[in-house]
Amino acid sequence: MNVLNEWAFVGVFFALSWALPALPIVAAVFFSPKKANAIKLQTYECGVETVGDTWVQFKVQYYLYGLVFLVFDVEMIFLFPWAMAYERLDTFQFFAGIVFIILLLDVLVYAVKKNVLEWS
Amino acid sequence: MGEFDLLSSLPAIAPEIGLTILIFVAVLLDSFLHESQRKGIAYVAALGMAALAIVPIIPGWAPEPGPTGDYLFWGGMIRHDALAQIFRIMVLASGALTCLMAVDAKRVGNKGEFYTIVLVATLGASLLSASADLIMVFVALETLSIALYCLAAFKRNDSKSTESGMKYFLFGAFSSAIMLYGFSLLYGFTGQTNLYALAQFMGTEAFANNAVPVLAAMVMVIVGFGFKISAVPFHFWTPDVYEGAPTPVTAFLSVASKAASFAVMMRFFIAVFPNDLVIGDYVIQNFWVQFMAAAAVISMTLGNVIALSQKNIKRLLAYSSIAQAGYVLMGVAALQATTPLGAERAVASVGFYLFMYTFSNLLAFAVIILFSEATGSETIADLAGLNRRSPWLALTLTIALLSLAGVPPAAGFFGKFYLFTAAVEADLVWLAMIGVLNAIVGLYYYLVVIKVMYVDRSEDEDKPIPTSQTYRWVLGVATLAVIILGTVGAQVIFEWAVQGAGTLFALLPGVF
Repeated sequence: MNVLNEWAFVGVFFALSWALPALPIVAAVFFSPKKANAIKLQTYECGVETVGDTWVQFKVQYYLYGLVFLVFDVEMIFLFPWAMAYERLDTFQFFAGIVFIILLLDVLVYAVKKNVLEWS
Repeated sequence: MGEFDLLSSLPAIAPEIGLTILIFVAVLLDSFLHESQRKGIAYVAALGMAALAIVPIIPGWAPEPGPTGDYLFWGGMIRHDALAQIFRIMVLASGALTCLMAVDAKRVGNKGEFYTIVLVATLGASLLSASADLIMVFVALETLSIALYCLAAFKRNDSKSTESGMKYFLFGAFSSAIMLYGFSLLYGFTGQTNLYALAQFMGTEAFANNAVPVLAAMVMVIVGFGFKISAVPFHFWTPDVYEGAPTPVTAFLSVASKAASFAVMMRFFIAVFPNDLVIGDYVIQNFWVQFMAAAAVISMTLGNVIALSQKNIKRLLAYSSIAQAGYVLMGVAALQATTPLGAERAVASVGFYLFMYTFSNLLAFAVIILFSEATGSETIADLAGLNRRSPWLALTLTIALLSLAGVPPAAGFFGKFYLFTAAVEADLVWLAMIGVLNAIVGLYYYLVVIKVMYVDRSEDEDKPIPTSQTYRWVLGVATLAVIILGTVGAQVIFEWAVQGAGTLFALLPGVF
C-alpha cells in the first residue's frame, strides 16, 4: 500500500476542516441583515463592564504561589499511580518514587526558605 | 530489548545521576546559606561537574555493550558509547568553567538559582549527547532549552537581558515545534521511536515510492537542530541573544548547547538516515549531506562577513560562532565518506573541533567577563591598551582569538586541519576550499581585536583589570587546554575521538 495514499485522507480532512467552519461565516456576511447601533458595536465580553483600568498590577505572591501550586499539582499526577500500585512495586520502582518525593521536598524547602509561601 | 539489569544500566546515566545530586545540593545550599555566602555554591557545582567529567576518563569506565548486545540502555533511550562520553566531558567541563566564571559577575554570581539552572542545563545537554530515542531527544533538548531561556533572561531588571530571553524563547519554541512535527511524522510512518529502529523500518517495501514524506520529516528535524547550533538560515536569534544575555550565560550557550546538539545531530542522521537507506530511486543520505554542505557554506560566509563590521565584542563572537558552526557542519557533511575510516575520521574531526572550540570560546568569554565587570563596556574600541593595563589578560585573549582563527600553536589549527582533511577525504574538495578562504576572512576580524589590544592607546592604561584567584584558575586551565590541544595533545585526543567515533557506528545493522 502506498503511504501517500494512506495519508491522503489527512489532506482531505485538512481541506474539509477549513471549508466547513468557513462556510457559515462567509454565508453570514452575505445574508445577514446589518442594523448597527451603539450597543451592538460594543466589544463583546462576558460579565459586566469593567470599572477603571484593567491593567492593574497583581501582587507577585499570587504568581509565585500559582507556580509552586502548579508544580506540586502536576507532580501529584505522577505520584498517584505509584501510590495505587504500591503493593505490586519491586525495589527499584519503590525507590524511584522515593527519589522523586525527596526531590519534591527539596523544592518545598527552597520555596519555604525563600518566603514564597508567606503573605505579608 | 533484553532483560532490564539495574547494575549494568546505572553507569550509562552516571553523569546525570551525579548532576541530579548536585542540583539537589545546590538548591539546599541556596535555601540555607546567607546571601553573602552563596558564591560558595559555584565552587561546589564546579568541583562536582569537574569530578563527573573526569570519571569517564578513568580506565575501566569505558562504555561496554549492554545486556542487549549493543550500546543501548534503559529500553533504548540512551546509547552509552564512547562518543557520548566525549561530548559529556565537553559539556561538563564547560558547565564547570561557566560556574567559576560567574562568581564575580554582578547580579548573577551571588544568586544560588544561577548555578542550579546551569546544572539543569548541563544535565539536559549531557543527556542529549547520549539520547537514542525520539522522545529522549526531545525531552533532553527541552530540559536544556528551558533552562537556557531562564538563564538568558537572568538579569530580570535589565531590559536587554529580558529581551534576549524572550527572543530566544520565541525562536526556540517555534523551532522545537517544527522539529517535534518532524518527529511525529517519523513516528507516524514507522510506529517506532528508537532512532536505530526507524532506519530499518524505512528501508522496507512499504516506503518504496515515498521518499517525499520522509524528506519532509528530515527537513523539519534539520530546522530544530539548525536552530540549536545557530547555523544559517536559523541563526537570527544568535547576535541579539548573545549580546543581551549575561556574559557567563553567553559563554555556556555558545559551547555546551552547541556541542550537545552536534552530538545528537550526528547520531540522529547516522542512525535514522544511514548511507544504505535507499527509498525508491533516492539515496537519502545524499539529501542531508547536500543540505549540510550548503548550510556550512552560507554559515561560514555569512558569519565571517558580518563579523567584520561588528563594534561589540559579544556580537563579534556571536557571528564568529555562526561561522564556527559552519566549519563544523563541513565535518558533518563529510560523513558521506565511502570508507568506514573516512566517516569515523569525519565524526572525530567534529568531536575534536568542538572540544577545542569549547575551551577557546570559554577562554575568550572569561576575559570579556573580567573586562566588562571592571569597565562596564563591551565595545571592541574600549579594549584599547589592554596590553598595558593587564598584559596577561591581553595575552590570554590573544591565544583564545588565535585559536578561534586557527593559527598554530593554538588548538584551532589542528581543529581546522582535521575538519578540512575529513572534507577532502570525503570528496568535498570544493567545500574544503571555501572553508580555507573563510578562515582567511575570519583571521582578519580576530586580528583587528588583537591589534586594538596591543597597538591602540587609551587614557586608562594605568588602571589594571582586577583579576581574582578564581579567574586566574579558570584562565590558566583553559589556556593550558588550548595550548595542549594545539601541540602535544592534538594527536592523542584525535585518536581517542576516532576510537569513540568507531563505537558510534559499531554494532549497527547494515551500516558499512
